[in-house]
Amino acid sequence: MKDTAPNPFVNGLWRQNPTFVQILGMCPTLAITNSVQNAIAMGLATAFVLTCANGIIAAIRKHVPKQVRIATFIAIIATAVTITDYFVKAISIPVYKALGPFIPLIVANCLVLERAEAFAAKKPVIPSILDGAGMGLGFAFGLTCLGTVREVLGAGTFLGFPLFGPNFEPWVLFLLPPGGFISLAIWLLVFASFRERKEAKERAALVEIQHAEVKP
Amino acid sequence: MKSSVMIRFLGFLSLLCGVLIVGTHLLTQSLIRVNQETILRESLTQLLPGMEKQVVYEVEPSGEIVIAHGQAGGAKRIFAGYDAHGKLVGVVLEASARGYADVISAMYAYAPEKKLITGLIVVEMRETPGLGNKIGSDPEFLANFKALDASHPVGAVKHGTKRNPWEIDAISGATISSRAVGRMLSASIGEMAPVIERHRERIERGN
Repeated sequence: MKDTAPNPFVNGLWRQNPTFVQILGMCPTLAITNSVQNAIAMGLATAFVLTCANGIIAAIRKHVPKQVRIATFIAIIATAVTITDYFVKAISIPVYKALGPFIPLIVANCLVLERAEAFAAKKPVIPSILDGAGMGLGFAFGLTCLGTVREVLGAGTFLGFPLFGPNFEPWVLFLLPPGGFISLAIWLLVFASFRERKEAKERAALVEIQHAEVKP
Repeated sequence: MKSSVMIRFLGFLSLLCGVLIVGTHLLTQSLIRVNQETILRESLTQLLPGMEKQVVYEVEPSGEIVIAHGQAGGAKRIFAGYDAHGKLVGVVLEASARGYADVISAMYAYAPEKKLITGLIVVEMRETPGLGNKIGSDPEFLANFKALDASHPVGAVKHGTKRNPWEIDAISGATISSRAVGRMLSASIGEMAPVIERHRERIERGN
C-alpha cells in the first residue's frame, strides 16, 4: 500500500467505512433505516457524538489513569449523547419522536467506544476530531444508503416525496425488519464487489511492473 | 497507581459531565417547551378550523372542571376552541390505547351539541411502518373521523364493512392498530362525554 498514514477523515468516510467495511453499529443500522429522514438524523446525531467524544478524550488522554479509561470513555460518551438528546428535542420534536429510544442507545454503539479506544486515546486532538467526523459521516452515509433503498422500495417515496404515482404498490417487506437485513446484504455485496475489482486491478498492475522489471 | 488518584479523577470527571448536562438542559428547556406548544397549537387549529382562541380545562377527580394554568399535571384535559365571536367551535380531547407495538396516543375533536367526532390526529405511536402507522396518514381511514357518531359506542369494523355512522372502517393489514383507535375513542368518549354534558353551558361561555 502506498499511503501508510491515510487522512483520518477520508479513512472513516470511505476506506474504513463503519457500516460497509468495519460492519460496526448494526443495531441502529437495521432498526431505524426505514426512512431516509430517520437515517440522516440518526447518522448526524451519531457523528456529533463521535466528534465530541473523540475530541474530549484526545484532549484529556494523558491524564486518564489506565485502569479506569473505559469508565472514563463511557462517561464522556454518555454526556455527549445526553446533550445530543436535548438538542434533537429542541430542534424538532417529530424527529425526536421518530428516533425514539435510539438516541440514548448511541451510548451502547460499539463504533463510538471503538474509536475512543483505538484512535482518540492515542492521537492528538485535531486528528481525533477529524477521525470522529469522518467515521460519523461515513456511518451517516451508510445509514442513508440503506434508508434510500428501504424507503424507495418499501413506501415508494424519497424523503417523503412520492416517486412513482398512486398506482405503485409499496413493497412493505422492505420497511419491516427483514428488509433491513436484505438491503444491508445488497449494499455489502455492492461494496465487496467494488473492493474485489479494485484489488484485482492492483494485482494486475503489480504483475505488469514485475514483468517489466524482469524483461531488460 | 494509587486508587486515590483514580477516585479523584473519576470524581472530577463526573462533576464536569454533570455540569455540562445541566447546562444543556437549562439552555434547551425553553426551546423544547416552545416546540411542544407549537405542535399543540398546530394540532388544535387543524382539528378545530376557525378557532381563534382556546381555553384549557382540567377535569378534577370529583368530576368538576377548572381552568388549567401553566404546565399540565396528570389530569385529563379539555381544550375548548372558540371562533372570533366567542362561539364554541368544538372541544379537543386526548385519548390513548395500546396498539400493536406500543401505546398510541391521539387528539380528537368533539362537537358536544351534535355528539359527533369531527377529526382525529395521531400524536404518538410506534406502529409498524408501512402497515400500522397508516392510521396517522391514510386519508381513507382519517375520513372515518369527519363525522363519527359518538352517541353510540364507536368501534372499528373489518375493512369494507362499515354500515353505520358509529363504525370505523379499519385499514386492511392494520386491523390491530385500527381497533386500538376505536377502543381509545370509545373509552375516552365514555368517560368525558358525561363530564362535558354536565358542564356544557360553562364550556360554551368559556369561563
